[in-house]
Amino acid sequence: MNAFSLAYRNLTRQRRRTLLIEAVVAFGFAALALATGFMIQSFDSLRAAMIQQIGHLQVMNPSAATNPEETTLEFGIPHADRARALAATVPSVVAVLPRIEWVGLVTNGTRSVPCLGLGVDPGPEFAATRPGELVVAGSYLQGDGGDEIVMGTGLARALGVRPGDQLTLLASTVDGNLNAVDVRVRGLLAIPIKELNDRTLVAGLTLVSQLLHSQGTVSKLVIFLRSERDLEAASAALAVRLAPVGPVAIVPWRTIAVFYNQVRLLYIAIFGFVNTVLVLMVVLSAAIVMTMAVAERTREVGTLRALGTRPARIRNTFLAEGVLIALAGSIAGLVLALAVRAALNASGIVLPPPPGAAVGIPIHVGLYPSAYLFGLAVMVGTMLLASFFPARRAARLSIVEALAHV
Amino acid sequence: MSASRQPSPPPVLELESVSKSYRLGALLVKAIEDVSLSVASGELIALKGPSGSGKTTLLNLMGLLDRPDHGVVRVGGVEAERLDEDARADLRRDQFGFVFQSFNLIPVLSAAENVSYPMALKGVGRQERRQRAIELLQAVGIGHKHAVRPDLLSGGERQRVAIARALANRPRVVFADEATANLDSHTADEVLGLVRTLNESQGVAFLLATHDPRVVARAHRVVHLHDGRILDQAP
Repeated sequence: MNAFSLAYRNLTRQRRRTLLIEAVVAFGFAALALATGFMIQSFDSLRAAMIQQIGHLQVMNPSAATNPEETTLEFGIPHADRARALAATVPSVVAVLPRIEWVGLVTNGTRSVPCLGLGVDPGPEFAATRPGELVVAGSYLQGDGGDEIVMGTGLARALGVRPGDQLTLLASTVDGNLNAVDVRVRGLLAIPIKELNDRTLVAGLTLVSQLLHSQGTVSKLVIFLRSERDLEAASAALAVRLAPVGPVAIVPWRTIAVFYNQVRLLYIAIFGFVNTVLVLMVVLSAAIVMTMAVAERTREVGTLRALGTRPARIRNTFLAEGVLIALAGSIAGLVLALAVRAALNASGIVLPPPPGAAVGIPIHVGLYPSAYLFGLAVMVGTMLLASFFPARRAARLSIVEALAHV
Repeated sequence: MSASRQPSPPPVLELESVSKSYRLGALLVKAIEDVSLSVASGELIALKGPSGSGKTTLLNLMGLLDRPDHGVVRVGGVEAERLDEDARADLRRDQFGFVFQSFNLIPVLSAAENVSYPMALKGVGRQERRQRAIELLQAVGIGHKHAVRPDLLSGGERQRVAIARALANRPRVVFADEATANLDSHTADEVLGLVRTLNESQGVAFLLATHDPRVVARAHRVVHLHDGRILDQAP
């Protein structure tokens, strides 16, 4: 006849009240597990999207990591082909994408719009970052890109252009001179982040080198790995392999992904607040129920103490009731959460775009066992917290006063 | 007031100049004042006195349910005031049994489980305690109701279960506070007969706080309390 056995019987004695508090725990568990699952899902999706854009690692000039460039490619990586070949020898590296980032103007002859230019090696870029998924008109660059560009739909709208139209790019060369090249629009990209969609323009490295007179210098090498787990080892290996090309900084994606980090912090703050409110509600409800249980069973506690039950055992019996409520409530909550998850995923609801994004996210709550384990741990902790003070009070009751309780 | 010691047989329980007061608002009520009393093995003692005379307080102090303001309570020669709550609980579990006026059975446990409970506290194995519980219930005449919960038992049956529970760990002393007060006359007679039988057959000392003259008539010794003091003791 251990504490759990007695606790179980006491819970079945007050069946209606027990069911009520278990329902509170079940709703708390379901809300917590679903919110946590949704949060993990969001982080995973966003992380995958970020890595798809910026790679797992970026190799750059050490000064570029800390200082803004005042002139074009001021902090570039010279001899990019050699660095690229060396980086590709690291076993966990699956792709090395040279990129040139530049700013300039794009004009249709009557209107000029500032743009954020990106020079890429179209073939490997297409394979690694799958930009084809973003193409909404025309197609992505092919071969070395030739004199063609693809651009964000927002930028295209500002210029009033469609695939096949001619434009002119203007930028400062690495020598500080102004240069221009004529280009043709090959495709339009629906970039999910509005600020980028309104400014981004992508061209082949050859064309951009011609525009900037950069001659083999790139802004960075974007490295894709077999797995994120290889990140630290690959970073160390790259530092060794790239030593012959001069000093370079190897920057992990999280350091660069400001947007990801901001959204993550925002989500953690929102869900943290909601979860705290949720836990507080469960704690208060459960504490009321447990306090009532102790008050109702005061005389019984006195009897148990008189029979030789140690105070700690009395306390443990009430704590065991809290744990049993948490376990039963969590099982019910698991069923509820799975049902709600299935309904939400089938609903087709689209959530509003997150900060900075241009398109909403279809709601999808992933099945993450860790979220459910987290929910269980929080509910057990919550019930222990809610039961602790009533349990301690029961254990400290004066036997004589408890026996005289009416 | 009188103080009494019985040197032979050696006392299983002893009170020496024990006092206890309670605060009722601004008023300090002396419930027990300078009481000395010893209980020998196998004695059947009736504590008699009007309401408020201190019978229940005296039982509580002797049963280690409460601590005196002054004086010493010795259980088997051990000064109980020197013990912490856990040790006092262990002493109650091993040495004492309690029978309450309102039976105080645990409602979620069957009759046999109620009787088993003190044995479970002592660590007696499941089979052994079940067997002993049923034997004890048979001894008090309700073996056939071992699986029944208290709410389905009559008052007399509940008190029999309470007596069986009090005897579960083979105590040296059983305290009974108005044990027959909630029983009809016939049932009270049966319960008292049972107490007397158990007292004689098992050598367990019984201390019975009571107003009931039938209890007094069956006692080996009657301790008469008045205003928290022992007026007299008569065999």
